[in-house]
Amino acid sequence: MKRLLGILFLLIFVFIFFKACIRADIPENEKKYIIVTPQINNIIYPTEQKNVTLNGKDYIQTQAPIGKFGGELVVSIIGEGPKTFNPCNTKDATSSQMAGILYEGLLTTDPKTGDVIPQLAKSYEINGNDYIIHLRKGITWTDGLPITANDVIYTYKDIVFKGLGNISAMDSMKIDGKLPQLEKIDDYTVKFTTSKPFAPFLRQLSYPIVPMHYFKPYSDKGDSIFNAFLSPNTNPKEIVSGGPFKLKEYVPAQRVVFEKNPNYYKINTKNEKLPYLDKLVYLIVGDTNNEILKFEAKEIDAISLKGNNVARYKEREGNSDYVIYNLGADTGTMFIAINLNNRTDKNGKPYVKYAKQKWFRDKNFRKAIDYATDRENMVQNIAFGVAEPLFTAESLNSIYLNRDIKGHKSDKKIAENYLKKSGFVNKNGVLYDRDGNKVEFDLYTNAGNLEREALGVMVKQDLEELGIKVNFKPVEFNSLVNKLTNTYDWDMVIMGLTGSPLEPHDGKNVWTSSGTLHLFNQGVSENDRFSWEKELDEIFNSASLKLNYEERKPLYDRYQEIIYEESPVIYLYSPLRITAIRKKIKNVFPTQLSGLLYNLDELYVGK
Amino acid sequence: MDIVKFILKRILQVIPLIILVSIISFFIIRLSPVDPLAELRLNPSISEETLQKEIQRLKLDKPIFIQYLSWAKSFVKGDLGYTTSGEKVSVKLKERIPNTLLLAFFVIFLTWSVGVPLGILASIKKDTAYDRILTILSSIGMAIPSFFFAILLLMFAVKTGWFPVGGLTSYNYNEMSVFEKIIDIIRHLILPVTVLFAISLSGLQRQMRANMLEVLDSDYIKFARAKGLSEFKIVFKHALRNAVNPMITLLGYEFAGLLSGAALTEYVFQYPGLGRLILEAVMKSDINLVMASLMMGTFMLILGNLIADILLVITDPRIRTAKE
Repeated sequence: MKRLLGILFLLIFVFIFFKACIRADIPENEKKYIIVTPQINNIIYPTEQKNVTLNGKDYIQTQAPIGKFGGELVVSIIGEGPKTFNPCNTKDATSSQMAGILYEGLLTTDPKTGDVIPQLAKSYEINGNDYIIHLRKGITWTDGLPITANDVIYTYKDIVFKGLGNISAMDSMKIDGKLPQLEKIDDYTVKFTTSKPFAPFLRQLSYPIVPMHYFKPYSDKGDSIFNAFLSPNTNPKEIVSGGPFKLKEYVPAQRVVFEKNPNYYKINTKNEKLPYLDKLVYLIVGDTNNEILKFEAKEIDAISLKGNNVARYKEREGNSDYVIYNLGADTGTMFIAINLNNRTDKNGKPYVKYAKQKWFRDKNFRKAIDYATDRENMVQNIAFGVAEPLFTAESLNSIYLNRDIKGHKSDKKIAENYLKKSGFVNKNGVLYDRDGNKVEFDLYTNAGNLEREALGVMVKQDLEELGIKVNFKPVEFNSLVNKLTNTYDWDMVIMGLTGSPLEPHDGKNVWTSSGTLHLFNQGVSENDRFSWEKELDEIFNSASLKLNYEERKPLYDRYQEIIYEESPVIYLYSPLRITAIRKKIKNVFPTQLSGLLYNLDELYVGK
Repeated sequence: MDIVKFILKRILQVIPLIILVSIISFFIIRLSPVDPLAELRLNPSISEETLQKEIQRLKLDKPIFIQYLSWAKSFVKGDLGYTTSGEKVSVKLKERIPNTLLLAFFVIFLTWSVGVPLGILASIKKDTAYDRILTILSSIGMAIPSFFFAILLLMFAVKTGWFPVGGLTSYNYNEMSVFEKIIDIIRHLILPVTVLFAISLSGLQRQMRANMLEVLDSDYIKFARAKGLSEFKIVFKHALRNAVNPMITLLGYEFAGLLSGAALTEYVFQYPGLGRLILEAVMKSDINLVMASLMMGTFMLILGNLIADILLVITDPRIRTAKE
């Protein structure tokens, strides 16, 4: 009897425990999606920052409301934490972000408009191929030594141009294989000269400038010493930096703590030195689930919300201590790429079977797939409504987005018409091509990515309605990459790439026929190109030579039109960035381009 | 003298074992389809030159056998090499080892100081309500997956706010006084220790109970009872000494687990220990880091077994005489 009672008691306990866990996680009403409207439209942004000279020092004066000094902001970074604080050697996003707090570039991007604006530089002028940069006078590194033209010359000539650290910086500085000339005019003026006009060059000048007296002893010793320099275990007191915050502490796998840099060159409208915050803490969390828990336990002040959590947070926003911002679509894009390759490998075997080649190289077939794909459904059911259908190769927050491409609703009728035009016949729910071959192909994606796997299932269902048999095969990420870049033996693939919302030329490796990531027709020879591929090559080449936004825009509009028209890549959707931040953090001016917390030096803790 | 000879013999036996383990693990890792550079290959802004440079740096262009030899050469010299992201492996391990040891010592200390007495108690009071409750609890403890239990406790921490959500120290740890620091670490340790304690306690308690029952059932205990010895003397002087042998072997294994520990629990609690580091390294096929940790695990296992054997020689006269 006692025993029975004991078991009963235990069962009740377990039941209550589980019940308690479940209740809070599922919103009581069955409303599936809550669309968070883009609130960033209602934000009143401060006017542009100004250059102000006080006692011979060239400061930046922010026009943001005056805040309160002191306090701390605790946020999170997902993953394993930074691998280095050396801004010239960062190869992952977290390291770049952390190093970016310590070291700033000559120029930067206006967080709202995307224009190039001065940062460490006071101003810049462009005369033909000459870029003249005027530096701020009187500003210093954390150790009190002045920041001068020598540091700029050193950073570019000794690090970037020599390919030290992350070599890709040198790659992107090269124009037709040639590096620009760099010349010191005086202690506070430098001049870059490019071999020919090259539009993406200006943004390359946002490369972080480093203190010569601190870096030179290491950069002189070559690559391996330089790569180990400023590793996360470096004593923070030794580090000489220039950004708004300096490193205070790094605890492996736990946190990175920054403290205010009193030598920073930004001031508020009362001429008081920024930043407001005393301390900036990044907790290193392993995954998004842990991040959510930390936010709910009030250990962190801001969070980026994913899919199914948005509805839950939105519902609770009313009586909570946070605000939710919808920052609009981000740079991530999800797409189906189709293999248009019609070549054979060394043994004379075609990469793609001949019958399949005919379908894939047929524009009508690709259009049919485009029309059969139900993007709205994917957004609703896979992205939990937190995404926007996408039809363009540029991401939705790109300043070069072609807004004339409105997209279309999914329509099986139109899809069937396209198929009919090319002689496909549907017999008893099975699609046959003109030669009587059953239409069946493989669709790959990387296994383990739940979102892409769900997308694959949905695409399969959509295409099955046309009578197409799709063998959906999630494979290991590495073997997928191998297929795409090496063996070319794939039919269709669901992938995502991130691009730059500021510089479409970054996509040249994907869109030009000689590019290293020209997925849909990799390794195509000169005379085998589609006419539209040739046009794309032409566009990317000529647009990079034009320096004016107004001149470049129509060209990049045309490139997006071609991709939309020819559909070698069928874009599906872009996720929306939804973030929550505690109300006590003030001077938050989120933008679609730069996100939530780009103005670390202006943020302050209010009531 | 005998014992020194015994240890030397054991160490000599171990060398081929280590070589074999290292070869097998190296080849398995390298032959797995994980390409450490896959991410780079799909990055539109990475040039071919950068890729080639990375391939050379990681020696991926050489045949596996050469890769193994160059790894083994530096390993013998005591150089563990660099991780794929260019940090020193030895530094990374050094950062994590104290944290993992801290957690493991707490858990092992608690488990043994609670588990052994509980096991003894359960065996003495066999078939009473006390024994049954312990059986139920330890069944639950053995059945519940560690990560699941960890997640439940994390939710508990979030809902009540009594405990921090993961980690080992608070972000303002460095500004605390010594006393506050100790409290802070203990607060962070309670939940992961609870999970690991609950899980290993059940096994240990059952093991101890079974050993004791077996001994208590033997003839000499019956004889001792018939002789009229007090129950206390029977249990602690006669039964316990004989029941403890298998536990010593177990302790040897526990020692091996000190450093390889509890990857899942560490992961859920975001505990900055070795387990989490290695889990992440395996997923990225970070060969030097994985190899270093595997070799460390091997050494610990061998050492643990050696220690257990030596302890057995000391505690058990039968083994001693058999040797002589």
